[in-house]
Amino acid sequence: MGSAAGRLSPTHPWWQQLAAVMLKEAKQVVRDPSSWIIALVLPLTFLFLFGYGISLDTTVVKIAVVREDDGREAQDFAAALVSSRWFLVVSASDRRAGERLLQDQTVKAVAIIPAEFGRSMHAQMTSAQVQVLVDGAEPNTANFVHGYVNAIWSDFLAARARQQGTLMTPPVDVQVRYWYNANAESRWFLIPGSMTVIMTLLGTLLTSLVIAREWERGTLEALYATPLTRGQIIIGKTLPYFLLAMVSMLVCVLTALLLFQLPLRGSLLALALVSAVFLVPALGQGLLISVTMKSQMAAAQLGLMTGFMPAMMLSGFLFDIHSMPPWLRAITFAIPARYMNISLQTVFLAGDVWAVLLPNMLFMLAVGAVFFGLSWWRLRKRLD
Amino acid sequence: MLQRLLAIIRKELITMLRDPRARWTLIVPPTLQLFIFSFAATMEVKNIDLAVVDLDRGPYAADIEQRLRGSPSFTTLPHYASVAAARAAFERERVLGILVLQSGFSADLAARRPATVQLLLDGRRSNAAQIAAQYVTLIVSATGANLTGVTDAGAAAPAVAAPQPHAEVVINNWFNPNLDYRWYMLPNLVGMLSLSVALMITALSVARERELGTFDQTLVSPATPIEIALGKLLPPLLVAAVQTTLYILIVTLLYRVPFRGNLLVFYAAVLAFAAACAGVGLCVSSLVRTQQQAFLGAFALLLPFSLLSGFATPVENMPWWLQFITTMNPLAHMLRLMQGLFLKGASLASMTLELERLLEIALCTTFAAVLLFRRKAA
Repeated sequence: MGSAAGRLSPTHPWWQQLAAVMLKEAKQVVRDPSSWIIALVLPLTFLFLFGYGISLDTTVVKIAVVREDDGREAQDFAAALVSSRWFLVVSASDRRAGERLLQDQTVKAVAIIPAEFGRSMHAQMTSAQVQVLVDGAEPNTANFVHGYVNAIWSDFLAARARQQGTLMTPPVDVQVRYWYNANAESRWFLIPGSMTVIMTLLGTLLTSLVIAREWERGTLEALYATPLTRGQIIIGKTLPYFLLAMVSMLVCVLTALLLFQLPLRGSLLALALVSAVFLVPALGQGLLISVTMKSQMAAAQLGLMTGFMPAMMLSGFLFDIHSMPPWLRAITFAIPARYMNISLQTVFLAGDVWAVLLPNMLFMLAVGAVFFGLSWWRLRKRLD
Repeated sequence: MLQRLLAIIRKELITMLRDPRARWTLIVPPTLQLFIFSFAATMEVKNIDLAVVDLDRGPYAADIEQRLRGSPSFTTLPHYASVAAARAAFERERVLGILVLQSGFSADLAARRPATVQLLLDGRRSNAAQIAAQYVTLIVSATGANLTGVTDAGAAAPAVAAPQPHAEVVINNWFNPNLDYRWYMLPNLVGMLSLSVALMITALSVARERELGTFDQTLVSPATPIEIALGKLLPPLLVAAVQTTLYILIVTLLYRVPFRGNLLVFYAAVLAFAAACAGVGLCVSSLVRTQQQAFLGAFALLLPFSLLSGFATPVENMPWWLQFITTMNPLAHMLRLMQGLFLKGASLASMTLELERLLEIALCTTFAAVLLFRRKAA
């Protein structure tokens, strides 16, 4: 390194020196095939995987039905379960067989229509009980199965009441509407979230290797020997990665809009602004790691642990922050991805709600300023 | 042959555990992750803030609100004069939704006319919103049911009211009666954390030797490629066995998650899984030159493995072609084994199928790695 920067004398204007570092860094980025892989191939692969692989929308659940009653009512209810679009029904001969299927993870639930079901429905004193055993091991799916079974059951009762010409007391009807995401599709909030994860990966992981690499190769002393100031080194090292990350953000946005049919209700300007602001803390974190750690290996590992993992688990991308315990919620405030996540979801699904975007951008800038300030300070200590 | 193999294994263990910092990184970060993620990774919906726009001001509206307040899932229920007034809080994610009780709601209910309430929810958090919708629906319909119960008993002979059907659905949750999300997440984390360790150790160990130049020395030693590969494979199995012993103690003793399976099957599963991961790691390391490439390669596999395993979201929700790909993912099999062992006490027959799959993956990847080493050596 340093061939371009080395030719500079202190008399060159500030911006020309800066341009020289940037040019050198940009050349290095363009020449290194691994940075292309990180910048373009990984984001696209991940967005693709996130888009298709992650879905919280329970599509079709496999259940077993045990029908111990041959009467018309029991047949009707079993038919209601079979014809429902939520369930794929296999029949089991008896209770034991149904329970076995549940235990061996073949089905997610077993509905048992007991003997005497039809008779007790007509009787006044006893009550007919349909028993549903749900695989509770995975609570999210279990919750959805509960909802589906209850909906089918009340439809069944209503249809039966209509047939008999009796009037059922109308229960209170809850009309649910989802703003910003009318069909409550999980993909719509997961894809902006995956962009946050991908941008964190790019911004933090890629930059964390930058200065650590120079340290490993021994070129850092050469860089210090040039007339460059610390500010110039920092800006010159991060700006090319900033541009690279913006390009891959553009690729991600196009994929989201064209392939996954995500709506963009806000403006492109707001989207660009939010992405640019997010890169300040993301790049700053990578830079700080890279001036702290001496080896690329250690830097990459730290980048993964403090950048990528929190962006996955603590940013509200998959797991709702509001449901976490208070001490963990407090930790999330230090994670830039958290602010990016809500901002992106808002720009894509709700629109340019500046009341949301401005405070979040301010927080991101504040976190970024801390990271850059610390890196600036660390760089000087190294010069001693 | 056995002697040479033992020598290689001994050497590997020494390089892995000599550095005290390296010893710590094998134990501390994964345990910390197990702890933090068990709290973070929850799909349960708690602490719901729901705006209430009460245009009705009748007794039944008050009843609904009382019930919401009594539910542990709802923390605050701020009041707003109109939907427009609540909208600002909604946009800023201060509230998850807005419950609108139209004027005339109580009158409708009292007169046994169909009554409706409106629930507007934030689609940006659609999963939490859907679950909150279920809670609200349950609570609101309880108001209606309670009402009919009261009037049925009070009225001597209601002319139009239908006889209440004497039928109900009773839902029981097996394996996890309280639907505690941690019971689901912790067995999964056991698999997930041993994946990253086993994969990274093997992927990096060969790359490091390549960088240092000691790998060529190993290749020209009397050890055969199979012995070298086995020597690299077995230490991660040991590490995985030790780590999972620690995890299973934490998960069952500290978090009180039941373990309903057989311990022998558990260790068989851990070893088969670690062998499969180490095989994948060996393949990666036989293809790369530097540690950095090995790290990136392992990471590029780690993410798809964990996403397409049922760790975060169920495999059943994926399109069929991705479901097919998951059959080649060791973690997907491991998670089914862990769920079966911890929570379900699944039959041995259903477990052997998954175990066989893991062994198949381990054999294929190790074989491929040996072939690649041999080609490099030639």
